[in-house]
Amino acid sequence: MSEKKKKPAEEKNLDEILDTSRRDFLKKVGLVGSAALTGAAALYSGYRFEKEKHSGATIKVLTEDNRLVEIPVEQVKDYKPGLKVYQTRGREGIEGKRWVMVIDLSKCRNARKCVEACQDAHHLRPYEYHINTLVMQESKNTPRYFMPKPCQHCDNPPCVSVCPVDATFKRQDGIVLIDNERCIGCRFCMSACPYSARMFHWQEPLAVEGDKERVYDIELNVPHKKGTISKCLFSADRLREGIMPYCVSACPNGVFYFGDENEDAVTNGTTKETVRLSELLEQNGAYRLLPELGTKPRVYYLPPKNRIFEFREPGETEYKEQHNT
Amino acid sequence: MRKLIPALTAILLLGTRLSAQDWTVPDDRKGRLSTFAFDDETRKTGQKLYTANCKSCHGIPGEDNWLRLVPPPGDPASEKFQKNSDGEMFYKVVTGRGQMPSFRTVLSANEIWALISYLRSYNQGYVQQVMQLITSSAYPDAEIRIALAWNSADSTVDISATAVSEKSSVAVTDAEMQLMVQRRFGHLAVDEPRNTDSRGFVRFRMPAGLPGDTAGNVLVMARFTDEETFGSAGKDTILRAGMPSFNESLVAPRAMWNTARKAPVWIILTYLGGVLIAWGFIMLVLLKLRDIFIIGENSTLNNK
Repeated sequence: MSEKKKKPAEEKNLDEILDTSRRDFLKKVGLVGSAALTGAAALYSGYRFEKEKHSGATIKVLTEDNRLVEIPVEQVKDYKPGLKVYQTRGREGIEGKRWVMVIDLSKCRNARKCVEACQDAHHLRPYEYHINTLVMQESKNTPRYFMPKPCQHCDNPPCVSVCPVDATFKRQDGIVLIDNERCIGCRFCMSACPYSARMFHWQEPLAVEGDKERVYDIELNVPHKKGTISKCLFSADRLREGIMPYCVSACPNGVFYFGDENEDAVTNGTTKETVRLSELLEQNGAYRLLPELGTKPRVYYLPPKNRIFEFREPGETEYKEQHNT
Repeated sequence: MRKLIPALTAILLLGTRLSAQDWTVPDDRKGRLSTFAFDDETRKTGQKLYTANCKSCHGIPGEDNWLRLVPPPGDPASEKFQKNSDGEMFYKVVTGRGQMPSFRTVLSANEIWALISYLRSYNQGYVQQVMQLITSSAYPDAEIRIALAWNSADSTVDISATAVSEKSSVAVTDAEMQLMVQRRFGHLAVDEPRNTDSRGFVRFRMPAGLPGDTAGNVLVMARFTDEETFGSAGKDTILRAGMPSFNESLVAPRAMWNTARKAPVWIILTYLGGVLIAWGFIMLVLLKLRDIFIIGENSTLNNK
């Protein structure tokens, strides 16, 4: 009886043994196989890496101090400047430059493209201005005209003199900038500026996608901070790239000229025509705003003479009028 | 209303007066033709260029939504526009007039032809005439070599242009050239455009007092104005034709607005003097207090 009982048990054991060994075998084969595959893949990728490494493929790169160097292709990394880089280079400015802007009032017809381009670049609301076109009238019997008014970037800036925390400063290329990271929002500079060029951020910055991850750029004032000051920056970030400011390029009427005083040349943002700065100022009777204050602005105005457009109230465009009458 | 009528009349009169001044194109420019045939690709390029450069005043072609300026810019799809020959259109875009800016420095010749090809797509009856002889160069199989030389004695730049091929070397004669100087945001045209003489020479006068770098070097560029014939043949050379300029940094002088290190001497002295006086006074008070304390100590000792 006991033998009878044992036999099927033995049989079962044998079956079990056979079954488990098959399973084990398959398991082992799977393990070894996948290990071999991974190993081969690793070996192959390593081989490829080594092959590429020794391929000698190089690329020519221009260094910051203007040297052309050759480096292996695989060592090229995308460069993203950090806050420290922005702050350092933003404080120093561009060597050997003296930026200057000329605004030809005879051509301005309040298209407001400069204002829009500026607000777009600096993430401002429609009622926040770094540049604005004003309606001007000197006295009752003189004509009205439009005047775009950015920051004058004075060579003797009263706003910088009064800043108690060194948040606003002047650079070697003439641009007056603000560090929103330092600004305490005391608004001394606002009251010191005779041109009312500065604005206070009463609200949280306009939420623009991607701003949260963005590193604060002192040359763009984006993303700025609530309770601090900002103003026109002469698009310092663009000048670093060799492109004219946002407002200058956006004007459809050829109002703005921009250039380097050291080169005695300014380029029109619309027509891209380059002219001698000294000749342009001389031939057109240029002037600066409130020269009696001794602030020495870097923005020149050409008088609104020989205007070829009719003065219209802001908001009343030529197009609208034509179609309403 | 009373004011409106004379105003409107004035505008109308002014408008008609201005538009009555015909925009005459020199006869030799009227017949100018594109060197390439207009196709969908040129029209597409032209449309992009139109949107970027012309739309702000001329509006969308065929929509009649141009800006109401005096004189009116007009709709490029209109009959008045399309009556212009290709050469006339080209000339007007290049030269500009009044409020219409010159696009000489903005668009290249081929870009302007692309623009015209786009505008012609609004003209059903238009049949393009392509320039018969399409050559990339007026001197086929030859390389155009340009040499520049600076004469400091009379502040002029001499340019010679020769077309060098395997067989021969001939002077490029009667070709209009323009001399330019590189500036930060564009090229400053120097002197008027001039034609090369029979020997392929042309002389330009450099303006006085044009700033160069610290050594007076400037990058001078010589170009043929007729891009269709000569392509982009040109020569860029650094010449010592400018005025050496030594402009110090704008933050170099001592000033109230400058950094603490660059503050005016009188401010530094006044400030330091003020600090010294204040601390000196505090020290004096402390010393006097010490004296009083010592006197008090002595008197209590004596009293005992």
